[in-house]
Amino acid sequence: MATLDLASAETLHAPWVEWERRGVKGRRILEAGTYALTEGAIAAGCRVFAGYPITPATDIAEYMSKRLPQVGGYYVQCEDELAGMHACAGASLGGLKAMTATSGPGYTLMHDAYGWSVTNEIPLVVVDAMRVGPISGITGAPGQGEFYVARYCSHGGNFETIVLSPCSVQEAFWLTIDAFNLAERFRTPVTILTDQVVSDMWEDLFVPDDYEALDFVVPRRHNLMMPFYPVGSADIDVAPNVIGHGTGVCVSAYTHTEEGYDIEEMEAQWAQTYRLVNKIRHHRGECTRYETLGFEDAEVVAVAYGANARTVRTGVVEARRRGLRAGFVRPITLWPFIDELYAADRHYVVCELNYDGQLVREVTRAAPDRGKVHFMGKSAELHTVAEVVTALEGVARSGRMPELPYIWTEVR
Amino acid sequence: MNKLAQKYLRPSQIPTKACHGCGIGMIENWLLQAIDELGLKQEDVIFGTGIGCVGRQTFATWGGDNFGATHGRALAVATGLKLAQPDKKYLIVVGDGDAASIGTSHLIHAARRNLGVTVICEDNMGYESTGGQFSPTTPAGYVTNSSPYGMAEPSFDPCDVVKAAGATFVAETTATQWHQTVKIVKKALANDGFSFVHVRFPCNENFGAYALGTRDTLKNLEWIYEHTQGRKADGSETDFTWETGIKHDASNSRPEFSKIMRDMNERVRADMAAKAAAKSARA
Repeated sequence: MATLDLASAETLHAPWVEWERRGVKGRRILEAGTYALTEGAIAAGCRVFAGYPITPATDIAEYMSKRLPQVGGYYVQCEDELAGMHACAGASLGGLKAMTATSGPGYTLMHDAYGWSVTNEIPLVVVDAMRVGPISGITGAPGQGEFYVARYCSHGGNFETIVLSPCSVQEAFWLTIDAFNLAERFRTPVTILTDQVVSDMWEDLFVPDDYEALDFVVPRRHNLMMPFYPVGSADIDVAPNVIGHGTGVCVSAYTHTEEGYDIEEMEAQWAQTYRLVNKIRHHRGECTRYETLGFEDAEVVAVAYGANARTVRTGVVEARRRGLRAGFVRPITLWPFIDELYAADRHYVVCELNYDGQLVREVTRAAPDRGKVHFMGKSAELHTVAEVVTALEGVARSGRMPELPYIWTEVR
Repeated sequence: MNKLAQKYLRPSQIPTKACHGCGIGMIENWLLQAIDELGLKQEDVIFGTGIGCVGRQTFATWGGDNFGATHGRALAVATGLKLAQPDKKYLIVVGDGDAASIGTSHLIHAARRNLGVTVICEDNMGYESTGGQFSPTTPAGYVTNSSPYGMAEPSFDPCDVVKAAGATFVAETTATQWHQTVKIVKKALANDGFSFVHVRFPCNENFGAYALGTRDTLKNLEWIYEHTQGRKADGSETDFTWETGIKHDASNSRPEFSKIMRDMNERVRADMAAKAAAKSARA
């Protein structure tokens, strides 16, 4: 396991920490999360958006329909999400960076295209603005029900995925550029798993004036020669395949050879699986983004991501002010899961916007003592600061979640 | 290997794993003839396909760039690809499952948008690679492995569907009409818009064996031929008739999808430039 720098009291480990120090010229505006996701994509060079409007991701489609023609890009409103993500894959194969945005019900419909893009190593970005499920659920409230769905975003297994989650409008902007960079470098779809609150809320946003001058954007490159599908995990950062340049590339749903020919032999399947799993696992440190607070002395650590992390973090700060040795961790990279963040033997209170408990299962797996992992689930509204403080105090006092303040289940 | 195959296909990928007597290879050869007569080169054509007999047996045979989409989604992929590579010809070779069942919504909307692709729907009237179940183009009443008492549902004609949706070239032919098919495919490829060519062909192993009672290729081809004529060899009328030929030709009558998008972009950017110029003139 890699060693993470957890010593400092407050840590944000993400590439945009350095980007923000570069003195890029720009302007500060008041804007929505969906706007930041759209502008982040355009700054990253996205020139195709194909999708289907769905609350709470609709504003991304609307912003894209306005912005893309201005920068020489294309907005396609498709017949459904199946078409949306397949059209993005087609555009990406043609050499243009592409993105789609949806919510849970549409994300489920994209799994067909997701698997196709994973196996063919097609760079793409998919935004899933999570609402409350199951199914249509509550459209205008935040949920966190797709933590595992985003990991297992297509059937069949034999692959690894990259999933990032922002917690503010500004972070949504930077993280979208980062998502495009990771998609290009790892030749894979990247999911931005956000939620209704981060998408819909308005906040202070810094937007660079000149997107072309952002030298941290990984440009689109074209792989013009064999092998189209390298074997082994060492070759990351190879150019994506391109259709239309006469390379004779073959792209399909089948297990493939290096040329892309369909093959039904186990050795080829093993090679493909090894590649799809380990091109990410063997380089997972390059995908690792997280925020911590109070890790140096914490006995109880609250775990949360997305919009929910905002109030949970405030709860931790309040608990520390009251003298509690509380800590906070916000995984920004949800997948590949950052096990190292839970390596210390202490209590973890996992706060999620679902009642079944998803993130908590991974924390339980990663933590040394599963008896010290606690779950506080809510849905459709964020954890309040008071609830977080009460839970942290209860766990610090008795090693158990208190009966109040809210609904929870100890996941075993 | 014949000369057309040598010129356009990948020697390592043919012959395919198609069953003995399957019409897929023969029809592909006719497509090559049309491509050759139009003077197109390998790099001019992007070959897209889907899943099933037609997808599996044609994928990666084309010597240029190939894609084999998930089931039914070849046209969805082509919608994005066409924006990025607008100057290529697209040959989307799919079966009745891809075009007329699982992917029909994409077929309809590709026709509505006048997406610049030529769809060759090679229709063996059922799901033959999964063992011979009926499809929406199986003639009503015919026995398949999932309609042992005769197909109870009515079937439909995908040509009617795409014509209603706005396709600019629609034609129907069969595996018994070589020259007519080549002529039709040439016209289809010459249309800068959505072209749909429906080609019925026999499956000997499943549809032939279960619906028609024979695995004999010639007898199955004869059955198709009789249904294009409306009359059997003995002079009696067939149970139904397929009208073949060009059903709708509005080639190049309205703008192609990717051109509409590019034109809009140019208009938007010209407006932006004009506004910026006016603003700086005022300043």
